[in-house]
Amino acid sequence: MAVDKEINVLGKACPTPLISLAREVRGMGAGQVVRIIGNDPIFESSVVDFCQERGHAILETARDGKVVTMTFAIGPDIPPSP
Amino acid sequence: MGKKVTILLHSGDLDKALAAFIIANGYAALGAEVKMWFMIWGHNCLKKRRSLFSFRRKPDPARESAYRVLETDNILQPLVEMFNRGGAGHLPLSRLNLMGLGPRLLGAMLRKKGIPDLEELIRGADDLGVKFIMCQICFDAFGLSVDDLIVPHVEVKGSAAYAKDTLEAQVNLFM
Repeated sequence: MAVDKEINVLGKACPTPLISLAREVRGMGAGQVVRIIGNDPIFESSVVDFCQERGHAILETARDGKVVTMTFAIGPDIPPSP
Repeated sequence: MGKKVTILLHSGDLDKALAAFIIANGYAALGAEVKMWFMIWGHNCLKKRRSLFSFRRKPDPARESAYRVLETDNILQPLVEMFNRGGAGHLPLSRLNLMGLGPRLLGAMLRKKGIPDLEELIRGADDLGVKFIMCQICFDAFGLSVDDLIVPHVEVKGSAAYAKDTLEAQVNLFM
Protein backbone atom coordinates (compact mmCIF):
# COMPACT_ATOMS: atom_id res chain seq x y z
CA MET A 1 0.00 0.00 0.00
CA ALA A 2 1.39 3.39 -0.99
CA VAL A 3 1.67 5.61 2.07
CA ASP A 4 1.71 9.39 1.60
CA LYS A 5 2.77 10.27 5.13
CA GLU A 6 4.29 8.37 8.03
CA ILE A 7 4.00 9.61 11.60
CA ASN A 8 6.02 8.12 14.43
CA VAL A 9 4.81 8.75 18.00
CA LEU A 10 6.64 5.90 19.72
CA GLY A 11 7.17 6.71 23.39
CA LYS A 12 4.75 9.61 23.35
CA ALA A 13 1.75 9.58 25.67
CA CYS A 14 -1.72 11.09 25.35
CA PRO A 15 -2.42 13.70 24.01
CA THR A 16 0.77 14.02 21.92
CA PRO A 17 -0.23 11.38 19.30
CA LEU A 18 -3.52 13.20 18.81
CA ILE A 19 -1.83 16.61 18.45
CA SER A 20 0.71 15.19 15.98
CA LEU A 21 -2.07 13.53 13.98
CA ALA A 22 -4.17 16.66 13.75
CA ARG A 23 -1.11 18.71 12.83
CA GLU A 24 0.22 16.31 10.19
CA VAL A 25 -3.02 15.57 8.33
CA ARG A 26 -3.73 19.27 7.96
CA GLY A 27 -3.59 20.21 4.30
CA MET A 28 -3.71 16.63 3.02
CA GLY A 29 -6.16 15.73 0.26
CA ALA A 30 -9.01 13.21 0.31
CA GLY A 31 -7.90 9.65 -0.37
CA GLN A 32 -4.31 10.18 0.71
CA VAL A 33 -2.99 7.49 3.04
CA VAL A 34 -1.41 8.09 6.44
CA ARG A 35 0.44 5.56 8.56
CA ILE A 36 0.97 6.21 12.26
CA ILE A 37 2.97 4.09 14.66
CA GLY A 38 2.77 4.35 18.43
CA ASN A 39 2.96 2.35 21.65
CA ASP A 40 0.84 4.28 24.10
CA PRO A 41 -1.73 2.02 25.85
CA ILE A 42 -4.63 4.15 24.57
CA PHE A 43 -3.01 4.96 21.22
CA GLU A 44 -5.24 2.67 19.17
CA SER A 45 -8.54 3.85 20.63
CA SER A 46 -7.41 7.49 20.28
CA VAL A 47 -6.69 7.03 16.58
CA VAL A 48 -10.00 5.20 16.07
CA ASP A 49 -11.88 8.08 17.75
CA PHE A 50 -9.94 10.63 15.74
CA CYS A 51 -10.75 8.90 12.46
CA GLN A 52 -14.43 8.43 13.32
CA GLU A 53 -14.87 12.05 14.33
CA ARG A 54 -12.99 13.41 11.31
CA GLY A 55 -14.41 10.99 8.77
CA HIS A 56 -11.19 9.18 7.88
CA ALA A 57 -11.34 5.49 6.91
CA ILE A 58 -9.12 3.07 8.82
CA LEU A 59 -7.56 0.63 6.35
CA GLU A 60 -5.30 -1.50 8.50
CA THR A 61 -4.31 -2.07 12.12
CA ALA A 62 -1.23 -4.14 12.89
CA ARG A 63 -0.17 -5.01 16.44
CA ASP A 64 3.31 -6.16 17.35
CA GLY A 65 3.42 -6.53 21.09
CA LYS A 66 2.71 -3.03 22.39
CA VAL A 67 3.57 -1.32 19.12
CA VAL A 68 0.53 -0.54 17.01
CA THR A 69 0.73 0.55 13.38
CA MET A 70 -2.42 2.03 11.92
CA THR A 71 -3.10 3.07 8.36
CA PHE A 72 -6.01 5.25 7.34
CA ALA A 73 -7.23 7.19 4.33
CA ILE A 74 -8.17 10.86 4.56
CA GLY A 75 -11.91 11.30 4.26
CA PRO A 76 -13.76 13.59 1.84
CA ASP A 77 -14.55 16.32 4.40
CA ILE A 78 -11.22 18.05 4.74
CA PRO A 79 -11.22 20.20 7.87
CA PRO A 80 -10.28 23.81 7.17
CA SER A 81 -6.82 24.83 8.26
CA PRO A 82 -6.94 27.18 11.23
CA MET B 1 -21.66 24.20 11.15
CA GLY B 2 -18.80 22.91 13.25
CA LYS B 3 -19.00 22.00 16.90
CA LYS B 4 -17.94 24.60 19.42
CA VAL B 5 -16.28 24.25 22.81
CA THR B 6 -15.45 26.89 25.39
CA ILE B 7 -13.12 26.37 28.33
CA LEU B 8 -12.70 28.95 31.07
CA LEU B 9 -9.51 28.63 33.10
CA HIS B 10 -9.84 30.48 36.38
CA SER B 11 -7.22 28.62 38.39
CA GLY B 12 -3.49 29.26 38.33
CA ASP B 13 -2.66 25.76 39.56
CA LEU B 14 -0.50 23.52 37.38
CA ASP B 15 -2.78 20.48 37.69
CA LYS B 16 -5.88 22.38 36.59
CA ALA B 17 -4.08 24.15 33.75
CA LEU B 18 -2.74 20.79 32.52
CA ALA B 19 -6.24 19.32 32.54
CA ALA B 20 -7.66 22.34 30.71
CA PHE B 21 -5.03 22.21 27.97
CA ILE B 22 -5.14 18.42 27.52
CA ILE B 23 -8.91 18.64 27.03
CA ALA B 24 -8.56 21.65 24.72
CA ASN B 25 -6.03 19.77 22.58
CA GLY B 26 -8.33 16.75 22.42
CA TYR B 27 -11.30 18.78 21.21
CA ALA B 28 -9.19 20.75 18.74
CA ALA B 29 -7.66 17.56 17.31
CA LEU B 30 -11.14 16.16 16.72
CA GLY B 31 -12.03 19.25 14.75
CA ALA B 32 -14.03 21.32 17.24
CA GLU B 33 -13.67 25.08 17.34
CA VAL B 34 -12.16 25.67 20.78
CA LYS B 35 -12.08 28.96 22.62
CA MET B 36 -10.17 29.19 25.88
CA TRP B 37 -10.90 31.99 28.32
CA PHE B 38 -8.49 33.07 31.01
CA MET B 39 -9.43 35.04 34.10
CA ILE B 40 -7.97 35.90 37.52
CA TRP B 41 -5.06 33.45 38.03
CA GLY B 42 -5.79 31.54 34.84
CA HIS B 43 -3.60 33.75 32.68
CA ASN B 44 -0.53 32.87 34.82
CA CYS B 45 0.21 29.86 32.64
CA LEU B 46 0.51 32.08 29.55
CA LYS B 47 2.78 34.68 31.13
CA LYS B 48 6.37 35.18 30.12
CA ARG B 49 8.48 34.63 33.19
CA ARG B 50 10.06 37.88 34.35
CA SER B 51 12.68 38.50 37.01
CA LEU B 52 11.51 39.18 40.57
CA PHE B 53 12.63 42.79 40.45
CA SER B 54 11.70 43.62 36.88
CA PHE B 55 8.93 46.12 37.13
CA ARG B 56 7.01 45.89 33.94
CA ARG B 57 7.94 48.28 31.16
CA LYS B 58 5.90 51.45 30.78
CA PRO B 59 2.64 50.66 29.01
CA ASP B 60 2.39 51.66 25.37
CA PRO B 61 -0.79 53.77 25.21
CA ALA B 62 -1.25 53.15 21.50
CA ARG B 63 -1.51 49.39 22.06
CA GLU B 64 -2.71 48.98 25.61
CA SER B 65 -5.38 51.63 25.95
CA ALA B 66 -7.44 49.39 23.69
CA TYR B 67 -8.20 47.18 26.69
CA ARG B 68 -6.94 49.10 29.72
CA VAL B 69 -7.62 52.36 31.55
CA LEU B 70 -4.07 53.62 32.00
CA GLU B 71 -5.14 56.67 34.04
CA THR B 72 -6.16 54.53 37.02
CA ASP B 73 -2.98 52.40 37.09
CA ASN B 74 -1.43 52.20 40.56
CA ILE B 75 1.58 50.95 42.49
CA LEU B 76 -0.30 47.88 43.73
CA GLN B 77 -0.33 46.34 40.27
CA PRO B 78 3.45 45.82 39.88
CA LEU B 79 3.61 44.83 43.57
CA VAL B 80 1.04 42.08 43.07
CA GLU B 81 2.83 40.97 39.92
CA MET B 82 6.06 40.64 41.91
CA PHE B 83 4.39 37.90 43.94
CA ASN B 84 2.35 36.55 41.03
CA ARG B 85 4.93 36.07 38.33
CA GLY B 86 3.42 32.96 36.75
CA GLY B 87 4.99 31.21 33.79
CA ALA B 88 4.00 27.79 32.49
CA GLY B 89 7.02 26.13 34.09
CA HIS B 90 6.57 27.78 37.47
CA LEU B 91 2.98 27.10 38.51
CA PRO B 92 2.20 25.55 41.91
CA LEU B 93 0.17 22.40 42.46
CA SER B 94 -3.21 22.60 44.20
CA ARG B 95 -2.22 19.58 46.35
CA LEU B 96 1.19 18.31 47.45
CA ASN B 97 2.93 21.48 46.33
CA LEU B 98 5.61 20.85 49.04
CA MET B 99 6.81 24.45 48.76
CA GLY B 100 7.67 24.15 45.07
CA LEU B 101 9.09 20.62 45.13
CA GLY B 102 5.77 19.06 44.03
CA PRO B 103 5.66 20.60 40.53
CA ARG B 104 9.27 19.52 39.89
CA LEU B 105 8.51 15.95 40.92
CA LEU B 106 5.37 15.93 38.77
CA GLY B 107 7.41 17.33 35.86
CA ALA B 108 9.94 14.52 36.23
CA MET B 109 7.12 11.96 36.30
CA LEU B 110 5.52 13.38 33.16
CA ARG B 111 8.85 13.49 31.30
CA LYS B 112 9.60 9.89 32.20
CA LYS B 113 6.21 8.84 30.82
CA GLY B 114 6.42 10.86 27.58
CA ILE B 115 3.54 13.11 28.62
CA PRO B 116 3.96 16.66 27.32
CA ASP B 117 4.51 19.47 29.81
CA LEU B 118 2.27 22.51 30.06
CA GLU B 119 4.24 24.69 27.68
CA GLU B 120 4.21 22.00 24.96
CA LEU B 121 0.45 21.66 25.45
CA ILE B 122 0.00 25.42 25.11
CA ARG B 123 2.07 25.46 21.90
CA GLY B 124 0.12 22.44 20.62
CA ALA B 125 -3.19 24.11 21.32
CA ASP B 126 -2.03 27.29 19.60
CA ASP B 127 -0.89 25.27 16.59
CA LEU B 128 -4.23 23.43 16.35
CA GLY B 129 -6.07 26.74 16.17
CA VAL B 130 -7.36 27.06 19.72
CA LYS B 131 -8.32 30.68 20.35
CA PHE B 132 -7.09 32.39 23.50
CA ILE B 133 -9.27 35.08 25.04
CA MET B 134 -8.28 37.17 28.04
CA CYS B 135 -10.62 38.71 30.56
CA GLN B 136 -10.50 42.48 30.09
CA ILE B 137 -11.04 43.52 33.71
CA CYS B 138 -8.33 41.12 34.88
CA PHE B 139 -5.87 42.69 32.48
CA ASP B 140 -6.89 46.15 33.61
CA ALA B 141 -6.88 45.37 37.33
CA PHE B 142 -3.56 43.48 37.29
CA GLY B 143 -1.98 45.89 34.82
CA LEU B 144 -1.11 43.19 32.27
CA SER B 145 -0.22 43.41 28.62
CA VAL B 146 -0.94 40.96 25.81
CA ASP B 147 2.73 41.43 24.84
CA ASP B 148 3.66 39.69 28.11
CA LEU B 149 2.12 36.38 26.99
CA ILE B 150 3.82 33.45 25.28
CA VAL B 151 1.02 33.01 22.74
CA PRO B 152 1.10 35.52 19.89
CA HIS B 153 -2.57 35.92 19.06
CA VAL B 154 -4.95 36.69 21.92
CA GLU B 155 -8.15 38.66 22.17
CA VAL B 156 -9.26 40.68 25.19
CA LYS B 157 -13.00 40.54 25.80
CA GLY B 158 -15.68 40.87 28.45
CA SER B 159 -18.40 38.77 30.01
CA ALA B 160 -20.93 39.49 27.27
CA ALA B 161 -18.63 37.88 24.70
CA TYR B 162 -18.15 34.92 27.03
CA ALA B 163 -21.91 34.55 27.50
CA LYS B 164 -22.48 34.72 23.75
CA ASP B 165 -19.79 32.15 23.00
CA THR B 166 -20.94 29.73 25.69
CA LEU B 167 -24.57 29.96 24.57
CA GLU B 168 -23.46 28.92 21.08
CA ALA B 169 -21.13 26.17 22.30
CA GLN B 170 -22.03 22.51 22.82
CA VAL B 171 -19.57 22.20 25.71
CA ASN B 172 -18.44 24.70 28.32
CA LEU B 173 -15.91 23.86 31.00
CA PHE B 174 -14.87 25.92 34.00
CA MET B 175 -11.77 25.15 36.01
